[in-house]
Amino acid sequence: MLKGVVLASTGFMLFLIVHVIWFRFYVPRQRFTSLVRLALTVGMVVVIMYATTAPNLGVLPALYTRAGRGADLLNMLIVYVLLFSGYCHVYFLVDRGFSGRILIEINSAPGRRLRLQDVAGRYSMEMVLRRRLNEIQEIGRIVERDGRFINTRKGRTAAAVFGFIRRFLQLGEGG
Amino acid sequence: MKGLIAGLVAFGAYGIVQACVFHFMQVSRRALMLVLLWIACLPLYWWLFRALPDDRAVWLAAFAAPADPVTFLSGGLVYFFLFVAYVNVFYTAESSVSVRTMIELDSEPERGLTLSELTRRYRYDWMLERRLRRLVHAGYLIEENGWYRTTVRGRVAAVALSWFKRLLRLGPGG
Repeated sequence: MLKGVVLASTGFMLFLIVHVIWFRFYVPRQRFTSLVRLALTVGMVVVIMYATTAPNLGVLPALYTRAGRGADLLNMLIVYVLLFSGYCHVYFLVDRGFSGRILIEINSAPGRRLRLQDVAGRYSMEMVLRRRLNEIQEIGRIVERDGRFINTRKGRTAAAVFGFIRRFLQLGEGG
Repeated sequence: MKGLIAGLVAFGAYGIVQACVFHFMQVSRRALMLVLLWIACLPLYWWLFRALPDDRAVWLAAFAAPADPVTFLSGGLVYFFLFVAYVNVFYTAESSVSVRTMIELDSEPERGLTLSELTRRYRYDWMLERRLRRLVHAGYLIEENGWYRTTVRGRVAAVALSWFKRLLRLGPGG
């Protein structure tokens, strides 16, 4: 089992390093799609590494490398996917987090303080929406026709799924 | 496989309990409830790991793993990261402006909405106030006579967020 966990962690570190260098020196247009493609590519590299290396990677204690290859490989893939999904959470928080943006706006204001209306003045509803509309248009969930925004089939499915979760868990109007 | 199955089943049980609690009760402190329920289901993971039969008795040799601490830890990681992924989905449903936008657009599936029509459907003050209240509650901000000021924790978080944004060249975001 240890080989899979070590390779999944190594693969994830490799993904992080390439991701930082890539985003730092070349700004991809569709950022999240690029992130997913990079994770898939590194995932394939990790599988190849798994297939071509010794069961103990030459260094791991034999006591913890007795799992069958199928179980170890499956475990490795699950840990890698879940590490990536955990990172996505952090990435969204940094890239799109509304609360994070509010915190930065307040911290950069004179005296590090603002009133609600000052925050609204610095970052209006229209700015918030314009940014979101661009993002969901980029991933094909809406289209713009003559200045009107319309859900695509993907957008309608997302609206139905999240609408159901919101109603079922009593999460209120949201947004 | 024992660790994986115990992790998956424990998370499945957590999902059901959490959905029932949120469906039948009006939960005000949602984040706390999500974490407490996850912790409450941790012993279930431990119990399942102990109760499930040895892999060699059930699975083919290729899918059998010894019930050692590494297998236990792997299953625990699965249980933890599934929770992290679920929290992501939960808060997307709960707070995401993009999701709310698609739900609003769904009310006019043929005609769609313009930017100004969409803007009128939001209560921006309420949205901001909700986030400011959460930031105060989490100790990132202090409220004094209608002014919101960053605490030490808030300053550290703001600096870290700005640094990440600059490092990855993500723009102002929000």
